[in-house]
Amino acid sequence: MNSPDALDAAVDRTPTDWNAPDMQARIRRRYASERRFKYVGLSAVAASAAFLAFLLIVMIGNGIGGFTQTRIALPVDFETAPISVDPDLLRSGSGEAALANADFQGLVEYAATAAYGPGANQYFSDGAWVLVRRQIAANPDLLLGKTVFDLPAASDIDIANKSEGSAEAERAVKLLDSRHALSKSLNVAFLTGGDATDPALAGIWGALKGSLLTMLVTLVLAFPVGVLASLYLEEYAARNRLTDIIEVSINNLAAVPSIIFGLLALAVFINLFGMPTSSPLVGGVTLALMTMPVIVIAGRNAIKSVPPSIRDAALGVGASRVQVVFHHVLPLALPGILTGTIIGMARALGETAPLLLIGMRAFIADPPGGITDPSTVLPMQIFLWSDEVDKGFVEKTSAAIIVLLVVLLSMNAFAVYLRNRFEKRW
Amino acid sequence: MTISGPALLFLIVGLGVVGWLAGRAKARGFSRVGGRRALHSLPNYHGWYVALWAVVPPLIFLAVWSALSPSLVTDAVLATPAAASLPADMFSRAAILGEARSIAMGQLDVGFNPQAAALVAPYRTAISYYSSIGAVGAALLLFAGWAYGYTRLKQDFRARTRVERVVMGTLLIASLIAILTTVGIVLSLIFESIRFFGMVSPFAFLTGTHWSPASGNVDPDQFGAIPLFWGTILIGAIIAMLVAIPLGLMSAIYLTQYAAPKVRQWMKPILEILAGVPTVVYGYFAALTVAPALRDFAVMIGIPNASGESAMAAGVVMGVMIIPFVSSMADDSINAVPQSMRDGSLAMGSTTSETIRQVILPAALPGVVGGVLLAVSRAIGETMIVVMAAGLSASMTANPFASVTTVTAQIVKLLTGDQEFDSAKTLAAFALGLVLFIVTLLLNIVALRVVKKYREAYE
Repeated sequence: MNSPDALDAAVDRTPTDWNAPDMQARIRRRYASERRFKYVGLSAVAASAAFLAFLLIVMIGNGIGGFTQTRIALPVDFETAPISVDPDLLRSGSGEAALANADFQGLVEYAATAAYGPGANQYFSDGAWVLVRRQIAANPDLLLGKTVFDLPAASDIDIANKSEGSAEAERAVKLLDSRHALSKSLNVAFLTGGDATDPALAGIWGALKGSLLTMLVTLVLAFPVGVLASLYLEEYAARNRLTDIIEVSINNLAAVPSIIFGLLALAVFINLFGMPTSSPLVGGVTLALMTMPVIVIAGRNAIKSVPPSIRDAALGVGASRVQVVFHHVLPLALPGILTGTIIGMARALGETAPLLLIGMRAFIADPPGGITDPSTVLPMQIFLWSDEVDKGFVEKTSAAIIVLLVVLLSMNAFAVYLRNRFEKRW
Repeated sequence: MTISGPALLFLIVGLGVVGWLAGRAKARGFSRVGGRRALHSLPNYHGWYVALWAVVPPLIFLAVWSALSPSLVTDAVLATPAAASLPADMFSRAAILGEARSIAMGQLDVGFNPQAAALVAPYRTAISYYSSIGAVGAALLLFAGWAYGYTRLKQDFRARTRVERVVMGTLLIASLIAILTTVGIVLSLIFESIRFFGMVSPFAFLTGTHWSPASGNVDPDQFGAIPLFWGTILIGAIIAMLVAIPLGLMSAIYLTQYAAPKVRQWMKPILEILAGVPTVVYGYFAALTVAPALRDFAVMIGIPNASGESAMAAGVVMGVMIIPFVSSMADDSINAVPQSMRDGSLAMGSTTSETIRQVILPAALPGVVGGVLLAVSRAIGETMIVVMAAGLSASMTANPFASVTTVTAQIVKLLTGDQEFDSAKTLAAFALGLVLFIVTLLLNIVALRVVKKYREAYE
């Protein structure tokens, strides 16, 4: 605090007494504020991490039950049951019409009432009778005697069995439990089935397959175009107006809100070109336009990190400029490009908004057979289920989120692995 | 005669491979006669030259043909006597034609419209006629190109130069796709918006305060977009930023200035997971967990109009999603502050926090501001969170616990569900899209300018 300025007579020249109480207090204050600032920073980091943890815990807590399913044993005595299908007809392979005409819904209702009292039909999932029919079609001998079918429970029973349900459902669970009719098993239908209106039967395979097809279209279009464009911009492009325009458009495309791509797809691909609505083809092309700039930006960084000496050496032994790039630069940059591609694909896989606009929000029960079939994708299935009123879908939605997050996490982990394993530091 | 598409592609690719092998073999023949040095290009390039001549022309022809032939087919069908009885109304006409085409192509079994059945046969004839022409044309080009390429091969033929020219052309075309996409976005938005502004004046759209588009009648008073702009700003630029800026900035400060390297190495990727979670997951989380909790809280402290779908829920969750974005931009600009400034301040006896607050942050401010602008542009373009958690009621309330709606949520609402495409309602979505596009573009341009200028200051 001593001023060296000798001309200023007013300056107090007594040395600061650092041990004076007010100075000590001041230092304590400054240190306290230092600690406070540090803790504010720490708590900001902790709050962000806590939010992530909270989100994951809520999703896992809600969704883990979606992978298991409550099943109820339903004893059926075909001697007395009100159904008449000739097992011999089924065995000969021509019983489809007979099966289609038989009243399996009535059979389940009759058997449920016989076993658990009136109204017990409500305990079973709406589609339970389809499973009975399927089992009988597979094994007609079941029709000859008494059989116990293991059928999925209705979603309110399922909820009551797994956690807390309505009073009525809890009573039903108590009744069924006393008869040892309840069991829990892995919900295979959830992982292998398509969408359904009944949460007990709804599955994500249809959406997962739609996502895979969409991603396939995206990859086939965005990867080559992205790699070629980044090679051109990084290795060959002259510094001129055209190159500037290309660079500006790529950087802008990377920042354009995703829903704008949906508007583009609706106006151009669907209304102008007449491509099929709701198909993985249109979805894939739309997401490819979004992913391409990400691949270009990652690709350019990877290509930039290949040292010029490699190019000089190749040119020196007589390679042409195209040979230099395709024989030397591209193979060396490929791990970096692949890492960027996977990250871009992971982003595209989680994208919902543009696909909403091209009609991928329709209810589609059958998994798509090809890229032009109507289809939905995993994030869209989550969105559709989140809108459902039936409480059973809460569990399904969270379970689908778990599947989506696991897929995304493994893609990102693979990208990190690729980077660590193959990327060279020059 | 009809050749199916896959068979034709197979033929083209097959002959391409044969062309590659034949061209290479021919070139090897030259080198056997005159020694290896006699060739200008390696035999492989001769092979590629023939293959390109064989494959590229028919593929281009097929692409053009498949774009042209549907309208030719429709013209041919309309010229048949069966089409004379079609209704004059454009919409029902197009519906019947489309149905007949689907039946003829085997995508549909039975039509709903009896008139469509009569048109199936003409459609089949026309489709097979034009697809035969396409196939024959492609086959002719295939063989002609093949033969041309093969006969041009000579000892001193510059096959490599030619092939490399094609490669360079392909690279340039790949880069031009980015421009094409941008132009496509701009044109489609402007084109549809102009049609919308033909029905509703831009002035009424941009300054009106009443938003309730209904299908059917076009009343310009229904298309006042101010409530949507307000909702977008309230959620994306106010609430989300109130969450994201302090948390993101303080996280960046802690991780760059205080945290041990080990902590930083672990916490940075963990925070980045927040940016990788799909927005539909955030939306579901906001609607399922955050919104009900916030409503209960609002009811408890006595705020009126508390809704289960609130600006607060959407904004808070969106803010969390943006944290890593703000944090990594702040991280970059803090790291760009020269070490000498930091050392100078510490040497004067100031504490770390005083250095950060009085030296580093002012120096890094332009970068941080640029990052925040980019974050705002991302937040106002975000769709799923607001669709799922903010609601759809277009109100101009400042109460963050009430339901508001945003530009993106309304675009989704206007374009999903039953609608004919040309109504003012659907076109309004494109006008909203245009506004959104322009605003995000401006934000990005300004942000990049700010960041760039600041970078130059320290280089």
